Amino acid sequence: MCLKRFDVTCQIISNKEICTNYFELKIKAGSIAKYCLPGQFFMIGVPGVFLRRPISVYDSKKSVLSFLYKVVGKGTVILSKMCSGQLQILGPLGKGYDLEICKDLNYVVVAGGTGIASLHFLATKLGKNKPYKKKGTLYYGARSKKDLLCLDKFKEIGWKVLVSTEDGSKGYEGYITDILEKKVKDSDVLFACGPMPMLKKVVQIAKEKKVKGFASLEEKMACGVGNCQGCAVNINGAIKMTCKDGPVFKIEEVNL
Amino acid sequence: MVFCMKPSLAIDFMGIKLKNPVLTASGTFGYGYELADLIPLNKLGAIVTKTITLEPKSGNLQPRIAEVSSGLLNTIGLQNIGAKAFIKEPLENLSKVGVPIIVSVAGSCVKEYVQTVEILSAQDIISAIELNLSCPNLKKKIVCHDLPLTDEVIKSVKKVSKVPVIAKLSPLVTDIAELALCVQKAGANGVTLANTYPAMAIDVKTFKYKLSTVRGGVSGACVKPMSVRCVYDAYQNIDIPIVGCGGIETGEDVLEFMLAGARVVSVGSASLVSPTRLIGIMSEMEEILNERKIKDIKEVVGMLNTIKNAC
Repeated sequence: MCLKRFDVTCQIISNKEICTNYFELKIKAGSIAKYCLPGQFFMIGVPGVFLRRPISVYDSKKSVLSFLYKVVGKGTVILSKMCSGQLQILGPLGKGYDLEICKDLNYVVVAGGTGIASLHFLATKLGKNKPYKKKGTLYYGARSKKDLLCLDKFKEIGWKVLVSTEDGSKGYEGYITDILEKKVKDSDVLFACGPMPMLKKVVQIAKEKKVKGFASLEEKMACGVGNCQGCAVNINGAIKMTCKDGPVFKIEEVNL
Repeated sequence: MVFCMKPSLAIDFMGIKLKNPVLTASGTFGYGYELADLIPLNKLGAIVTKTITLEPKSGNLQPRIAEVSSGLLNTIGLQNIGAKAFIKEPLENLSKVGVPIIVSVAGSCVKEYVQTVEILSAQDIISAIELNLSCPNLKKKIVCHDLPLTDEVIKSVKKVSKVPVIAKLSPLVTDIAELALCVQKAGANGVTLANTYPAMAIDVKTFKYKLSTVRGGVSGACVKPMSVRCVYDAYQNIDIPIVGCGGIETGEDVLEFMLAGARVVSVGSASLVSPTRLIGIMSEMEEILNERKIKDIKEVVGMLNTIKNAC
């Protein structure tokens, strides 16, 4: 598929709180939806704050684009109150996950918190397309039961789901990387998205166990297209831009 | 039928013919060609590239940016590939764009400025050089805070440059009009007013500085009134053309800078947020000119600023 970017205004279809503090935003995106790849993101304009907010694609069906976000600061508070009207969006941006690598291989995804969003989009692509014969496994860690999102969607597509919570309210009590460390040897490919401490551990485990994979990184960014150079990251000894060269990087090249 | 003539936005700037007075601002538009898929680059007045230094620079540590009310704080640290790499692929890509190219240049000493300008101004496709005089020199002092050094940089660069030279000044000086006059006397062909404003921010949730270098530069809508003032004061003191810069988001903002005395403007933070703003601005300018029945943008330059000091 050819890569195409758009800087346009789109209509909000819905913006619902799916559980406390987590929202799913749906927008009418026309043909833009078909250009989105798992791991890519949009810069979404929020009235009242200066910079647009980078938010990963959660799902893309026909002409509807979905985003999953947590309310964390001024921008997302304002965004969460917008139930109708228009939003300015720029995207799809960045490089996504490499799906090709999954053919005939056992793959796992490791998600922490809202990192589940881009991995959900990845799972829907892997679930539907013929070359990816095997079903994946989701390792999903969150603070507590109420922070676990869209587990049903992974189960619907036949994935095995392993869950951990820091307070033990559901699944294993502790970090998801504790489970991953014990079981990752059965996998060939790993995809990870989540908070920095989790990613650091995942990268360490993958390197030790020699499992190849991809990690989606997050940095503060102003433009999303490589021009502000705010989101610099060290990849294989070179300075790269998270927004343009990533956000998804090969695990073996990442030094966190 | 009402016949409405489209006002002319074309303007001459230091002898360079521009389709319109809208330029990109250095450091906000990459090497200048990366967004060709998002906006028609040939509609821009001119492209100002990010700052190029003699040797490559890897830039500052994270965090490099922080949002503030109506603006953006940054400390990128002039990350760039260096002059020798720039004249290869980036310049080749820029040669296809079809608008004048202005390259921003910085150095840590006079010799570095001169050597970089020697390399760059020898390239046919480069129409002008913009000297970034707001970067720290070897003594960690801002170049344009040191008048004898500023004078020496401009005079030395002028000796080797084959194209016009613009001096981009920091607004944080006691008398911007006096500094503008100094760079004019040193031989600058134009002056950009202004660069970002020295600033800092602290995260009270974490008790940490928001930038790795503690201090950075603030840009965006919040600095516009201060930059308009810089342009207004400098215009009264100098004859060389002014590039107005600071918080421009709309056609109205462009006109504000031009009425104060700017001949052209550069748009930075707004194009980081939305690249298509660069193009939207132009039709907004045309609308305002139509409403005021002004046929030519040149009429607006310094229209409100009639005081002229002896230069």
